[in-house]
Order: sequence, then structure tokens, then C-alpha cells
Amino acid sequence: MSSSPSETATHPLQEFADHVADAVGGTAEIQFDTIKVRVPNDRWIEAHAKARDTLDLVFFSWLSAIDWSNEVEAGDPLEEEVEERVELMTALSDLTEGRLVVFSTDLPSENPTIPTLVTTFAGANWHEREAYEMFGIEFEGHPNLIHLYLPDSFQGNPLRKSFPLLSREVKPWPGKVDVEAMPEKPSPDEPSTENPEA
Amino acid sequence: MTTIDADVIRHLSETSVSVEIETEDMTLNIGPQHPSTHGVLRLVARVDGERCFDVQPVIGYMHRGYEKLSEVRSYPQITTIVNRIDWVSGYANEVPFIVAAEKLMELEVPERAQYIRLILTEMARIASHLVFNASYPLELGAATPLFFALRERERVLDLLESVTGGRFHPNFNRIGGVKPAYASGSNTRKLTQDLPAGFLAETHTAMDKVLEATEQLEDLVAGNEIILARTRGIGVLPPEVAAAYGVSGPNMRSSGVPFDLRKNQDYLPYDRFDFDVITGENGDCWDRWHVRLLEIRESVKIIQQAIDGIPSGDLQAKVPKVIKVPAGETYVRAENPKGEMGYFLVSDGKSGPYRLKIRSASFSNISVLPWILEGALVPDIIAIMGSLDFVLGDVDR
Amino acid sequence: MSTDEKDRDTRRKLRPTGVCLLGDPGLARHAEAEAPAIWYAGLSGGNRAKSGAVIMPTWVVDLFSNFWVSLGGKLLLVALLIPLVGMVIGFAEMKLSAKMQYRVGPYFAGGRWGWAQLIADGVKFFQKEDIVPTDADRPVFKSAPILVLVGTVALFVVIPFGPNLIFRDLDVGIFYALAISSLSTIGVLMAGWSSANKYSLIGGLRAAGQLIAYELPLVLAAVGPVILAGTMSLQGIVQAQVDAGIPYILFQVVAFVIFMIAALAELTRIPFDMPIAESELVMGYLTEYSGFRFLFFFLAEFANMFTMSAIAVTLFLGGWWLPGIPEDTLEFAGPIILIGKVFLLVFAMIWFRWTFPRFREDQLQGLAWKWLVPLALINIAATATLKVIF
Repeated sequence: MSSSPSETATHPLQEFADHVADAVGGTAEIQFDTIKVRVPNDRWIEAHAKARDTLDLVFFSWLSAIDWSNEVEAGDPLEEEVEERVELMTALSDLTEGRLVVFSTDLPSENPTIPTLVTTFAGANWHEREAYEMFGIEFEGHPNLIHLYLPDSFQGNPLRKSFPLLSREVKPWPGKVDVEAMPEKPSPDEPSTENPEA
Repeated sequence: MTTIDADVIRHLSETSVSVEIETEDMTLNIGPQHPSTHGVLRLVARVDGERCFDVQPVIGYMHRGYEKLSEVRSYPQITTIVNRIDWVSGYANEVPFIVAAEKLMELEVPERAQYIRLILTEMARIASHLVFNASYPLELGAATPLFFALRERERVLDLLESVTGGRFHPNFNRIGGVKPAYASGSNTRKLTQDLPAGFLAETHTAMDKVLEATEQLEDLVAGNEIILARTRGIGVLPPEVAAAYGVSGPNMRSSGVPFDLRKNQDYLPYDRFDFDVITGENGDCWDRWHVRLLEIRESVKIIQQAIDGIPSGDLQAKVPKVIKVPAGETYVRAENPKGEMGYFLVSDGKSGPYRLKIRSASFSNISVLPWILEGALVPDIIAIMGSLDFVLGDVDR
Repeated sequence: MSTDEKDRDTRRKLRPTGVCLLGDPGLARHAEAEAPAIWYAGLSGGNRAKSGAVIMPTWVVDLFSNFWVSLGGKLLLVALLIPLVGMVIGFAEMKLSAKMQYRVGPYFAGGRWGWAQLIADGVKFFQKEDIVPTDADRPVFKSAPILVLVGTVALFVVIPFGPNLIFRDLDVGIFYALAISSLSTIGVLMAGWSSANKYSLIGGLRAAGQLIAYELPLVLAAVGPVILAGTMSLQGIVQAQVDAGIPYILFQVVAFVIFMIAALAELTRIPFDMPIAESELVMGYLTEYSGFRFLFFFLAEFANMFTMSAIAVTLFLGGWWLPGIPEDTLEFAGPIILIGKVFLLVFAMIWFRWTFPRFREDQLQGLAWKWLVPLALINIAATATLKVIF
């Protein structure tokens, strides 16, 4: 189902997206030229194995997650309430036409666990370590689930919305005061500005 | 007096005693401060004599927390910091991010701006590849190609500086196009929608000098028996392993896979230009060097075609002063000099992203190091590692 | 007149005036029988009596007749000569490599030429803090650079600078030279082992393997000219080339090439600088050395370049001799000619260093054992056969 508002005709990738979704047993959607296939938790590894073997999606691009949460410590909270979950995503691509599919599954926010993809795609090793330390996702069966970037003694999962941005604790964001008027100009609202600052 | 059995003596003298000399293997720590690790990369290598059998990279010394930072920044601010991910090819990091934001806004970028983005991206590619092609022989011991190549790179960087204001961190992209310049005499504060005068002509001529430099490099390096002996057959990366680990870019192409994102993605108008996809044969260190040298020539071709065919027009589409990107998710991938760079942008309709996942090329490229360095000799560790062409900023983000 | 009578005659003529520090040791033996420690210049114990004496006042003669003064003088000469040679060659390397790389090289130290750069570097090294790592084996660590430098300095003794200008013309000249130059191998191993640093250890072991492996081609290549000349004395080899009128390189091209390659390996210069291997092992066995200890290694490398090239010139290129120059001028021009030829070879060494990358250790060893040693052996066999035939 295409959620891109300006599309009345079917998206050129729609057929491929449906084909992938049928093969792995999930649902496909295309947002802004990106195919996303949602699979249930228990079919996670199977889906990837099928994609690699039958759908020619052999290139493992990345693995990461999104922490959907309504309370954020750093940044702005969401406009509308969402279900609190951790969405784990991988991106696989083929090596002939460059079609990329994002596979996604939802994990509970508390203690998310899922079997590891290392046996299917060897490159998932480091990406899963990063997801483990950034989001706290436990990957069962991972040979070396230790911190990748952060020091060993680091506690907490930085990319969780509940984790504050430490530098902002020290010095709060000054906000819009950064935009100052030039001395000779009367008001900062001139049409010819070069930087549309937020 | 004890009698010694003659048979026993004969047996003992005939028994061959083999003594295995027990030598301990040594754990060698290469880095983080080391002349060849391209930054602060630490390799914990267990070596037995000169042969290593277990190499574990330790990364994270340059982790700056881009993904968390981008949750508290607005889009123009993120453009400022994003070119610092792969600092050798500064401009190329900004483009996919901006394209992702523009996709969510469904913005039409003027043609001229797209051409300029393309020209600058290819110049960034030339800069990055020149550095690699020059510094790789230095790791093997040949010091002179470095100077030939960096001299031409200075030309390219000066051109980049003349138009963007920065050699490595251009910050030239704006949502909707590229940054419009001022008319001459900056106290007018009047915008002209154009590049500085003479930039395109100078770039055209500079490209010939770059081609000369590639020829010098090829003469000096490609015919050298010692370099060939040090790099041929070393560090062979089969395409299946490369695909499983996510190794992309010239590393993948030198293993024989003709996959170039410039040909099948539409983030920039590459389909209007005629260029070849360079592939290697064996996937060894020599191929990785040679592929990048040939890619410089292809980039020169693209730039010259782009300059010849650049349309006139605005440099930036009309955008509101405060950019708010509508809600949605998209992933835009680009062919960076180091490999595939992608941004998965999750927007919530605010002035900054809700989540920005940065897929950096070097992160996946060096995740293959434990596999590829198994059983390699210590000098080969340096040769193989260098041939993967990574930058720590790209690895650690 | 017999030789002895000729000598006595000349001595009588020259006694009040002709004194020089360097002289033919054969004659010195005669001289000592009569009067202690007066050496004569321009008189060879061989077949030529020349009049190229250096005129000096009497009081200088008497001063240097004292053994201790003359010893001190010789030590001073050595102490000045080695750094001077090292600095000149080092400066040449800096400037030449700069020219090859579109650069200028040393520019500010000493006018627009930068000639004072290495003097400044020497002074800088001297005033640095002397750091010895805590875990290092102190006596071994401190004596390693000395051993390396001694191995180089001792080579200066047998190099013939002119027809009569040689510190000591040993009968086993080339044998002594090659033997004493391997003293630096021990120094290198000591440096690598005692630094308490894994990189240094790897560098030291690589160095030991490489230096020992390349001793063989070096020695075997040097045997060719020895066979042709019939003597191991370096002055004798040059003399034989003078007599034959052709430098031996024309007969011994293969041996010359092998000698130069092996010399580059003995010097651990690129393409054979695995032991140092800057981009891999930081500085290999030199990593922990700083200040004047590093200066010793540094100077030793450049001085060794000079001595190895000088030996190559002596063996193959005719030493201090150029065809067509009369013998009188050779007394003075000899050193200049020798240094000119040495600089040609040094230039070649510098050129190679900045053009080629380095060999890997196993490739290096393969080259030595599989190629250079058999070639050198074949060369010896061929030379000997041809010498017997002709």
C-alpha cells in the first residue's frame, strides 16, 4: 500500500515489494521510494534467509533500530502518540539493479530480544553489537555481544529516547538566541538571508 | 654393574625424537596511534612469528554520537556536521542527507543545482581517491607517489574552497539546492544565483592536470615489480564474502561485481552522463588500488561532461525560512568514494529528524578485517588494511 | 740501486722536511728501525718512488712524533670525519629526495641552501633528553648504538683514498672489511631485543635474518675482483686495476650488481628496510632510541653508505684511479676522484630509496637465497675458469 500522497498510479517498485512480502510472509509498504517489509518476530531469521537465497537480496547493507517512545529526553516529542516499541530494521539489497528492501520487526521496549542474524549474514556481527549497546537489544546466539563503540564500563543505551544528551545536561540548548541581527540592519526579517535557520 | 640391554640401546638409537619447540604466540597491539592505521584504529593481533591468526579490530575512539546529535539539531545544522563523517571526501557526505530531506518534502531541486552537486561530488571523489592512491604506496615504503598526487589534489581542493569556502567541510548544500552566492562585493548582501565567475572554466582545465597526475602515478607504481609482488594475490576478497559483510564501493567492484550506485540510483542526474563502471579481476590489493585510479579518470570524464552541459537556472528552490519536513521515512543511498553511504531519515514533521540512521561505508568495509586478515603476515596486515581505504570518522561516526 | 738503498737515499733527502701523518706502513717499519714514528709521504714500499711529499715545519714533525699526540690526532680525525661524512650524505639525501618530489628540501638553515640543516639536527639530537625505557636492559640498550657505529668506523681504516693515502693497508683488506661490517648485525639485534618493546623485537629479528642472509651474496660477489686481482689487500686490488688499465666492472657486471643489492640490504635501506619499516613498526629496532643514541644510528647509516660505496668503488670501479691522469696528480686528485665515484653510487642508493617500496621479509629472503647466492657462485666459477684460461 503506497502511502506517498502524490501517487495515484502504482509505484514502479510496488510489484517487487509485493513479491518480497509474499516470499517472506510479511506486509510491504512503500514510503517515498523506500520499500519496507514488516515481518513478525518469529519469522525474522527465516525471512532473511529466504531473501538471500530466493530473492537475490545478498548484500547486507545495515541493521539498526528506532526507539518509538512518547517521552523524549533530548529533542522534540512525537506529534501523535505511538505505540511504544523498538523497531528493529535491516536493509538488504541486490547487486544487479540496486533494489533495496528494509525489513522491519517490532520488539517490546523492555528487554528486547531476538535471535541473531550472524549465521545468515556474517556482516550482521558488528551492526548487532552496535544495536546492542545503543538500544539494549539482546541478540541470542551472538558470538561476541560486547560494546563496540562505547567504553566497556559505559552504562545505559544512548540512542534510547529516555537517555539524555549528556552535553545538554551540562549546558542547555540556548535556543533561538543564536540568530542575531546584523548591526546595520534594522530587523532580522530581511528577504535576502542565506541561511534559513530553524 | 648394570647390564645394558643391547636391544634397548639399539631401539633408543633408532627412535627418532622430534622435539617441538614451544613458542608462545605474541599479542601485538597495532594502534591506536600508529603511522598506518588511518586514524585511531586499534588491531589486537595474535601473531605467531610473522603470521597472525586472530585479528580483532577495536573501534570507537572517534565516536562522536552523530545519530544522537542529529535528534536535537535542525536540518540545516545537520548539514553542517554531516560532512565531517568521511572527512576526506567532505562534500559527498552531505548530498544523500539533503536528498532524503528533500524527498520527504517532495521538493523539486533546480537542474543547475543538481549539476553543481554532481560536479562537486565527483571532485570530492577525485580528492579522496588521490589521497588513497598516493598514501597506499607510502605504506608499502615508496614515498614519492604521495607528492605527485597531493600536488594535484591541492588544485582540486583550492577549487572546492573557491566555491564553497571550505576545503574539507564545504557545507554547501541547502534544502532545495546549493548555497546561492553573493554578487561580487559582499557588502551588497544581494544574492546572485550563481557560482563564482570562472569556477567552471578553471575546473575544466584542472581536470587535465589531474589526468596527468594519474598517469604519473600509473607509471611510477604500476610498472614497479616490488609493488606488484607486495600486492598481487594478497588479501583476496571473494564477492560472496564482500556481499555478506556489506563491503561496498571500489572494494566490492575490484572483486569483479559491476555494481555502482551511480548507475541505478537517482539521487543525482548521473544517467545523463557517459561513464564506465570499473571492475577488477581478482579482488586483491592491487586491484583495489588500480580500480580507484581508473575511477579518477571516470570522474574526470563526468565532470567535463557536466561542465559542458550545465543548464542555467536557479541554485536553490524556494523554501520557507524555517524548514519543517513532513512526517515519513525514507532511505537514500549514494555512491560515496569509500562505498555506499546512506541515510535512513525518520521525520515527525518537526524541524529536526526523529531518527537519523547513518549507514557509513567504512564501518562495513572494515568489519571484514577479521575474515580477511586470517593467516596473513604482519607486513601484509598493513598492506591489506590500507587497501580497504577507510577513514575512522566514517567508521565511528 | 736496490729498493732498500733507494729508500734510504730518499729518506736522507727528505728527512728534514717531508713528514706526513699518513704513510706506507711498510716503510714505517723501516723508519721505526731507524727513528721512531717518522712517517714519510710519497714513498711507497713498492715499485714507485714519488716526490709528492707534504712540506711541514719541523716543530710539527717533532710534535707528532710523540705517540700519544699522534694517536690523539688520529682519533680526532676519525671523530670529525665520521660525522662530517654522515652529515654531507644526509644533506645530499634531503636535497636530492626533495628535488625528486617537487619539493625544495632544507631551505632556511644556512642562507638559501640549507647546508646547516644537519648541523642543526645534530645539535638538536644532542640536547634531547636521554630516555631509557624502564623495562629495557640498560647495559645492552646503551651499548648497542656504539657497536653499530664501531662496525662502520672500523671500515674507514682499509679504504684507499689515494695511491698512498690509506690508514692501514692490511693484507687481508677485503676480508677484514666484510668481517667487521657484520659487527653491526649484533648491534642491531641488541637494540631490538633490549628495547622491551614488541615492535622493536620484531624489527630486530627481521634485521638479524636479513643481515645474515645478505652477508653471503656480499662476500661471494666480492670474491670476483679478488680472483682477478690476486690479492685481498684493497690497495692491491686498485693497483691491479691500474695496471690492467680497465676497472673490474667491465668484467664483473653481475658481481657488481649483486654487491650493490647486498650492500643496500646490509644498510637496511629501502627496498630492504623491513627492519625499520616505518609505516608498520614505527621505527623497528630504533623505536625506543632518542637523542644522541639515535644520532649514533643515524650517523652510522649514512657513514655506512659511504663506506660500502667506497668498497664497491674500490673493488669494481677503480678506486682513486682515472685513466689518463698522471701519477703525480693522483696523489692529490685520488681522494677527490674516489669521493666523486662514491657519490655516484650514493646518488644511486638515494634514488632507489625514494622510488621503490619495500620488500616483504620472505620475498627478501627468497631473493637472497634463490637468486643472489647462486648467481654469485656461478660468477666465481666463471671468473676463476676464465682467469686460469687467460
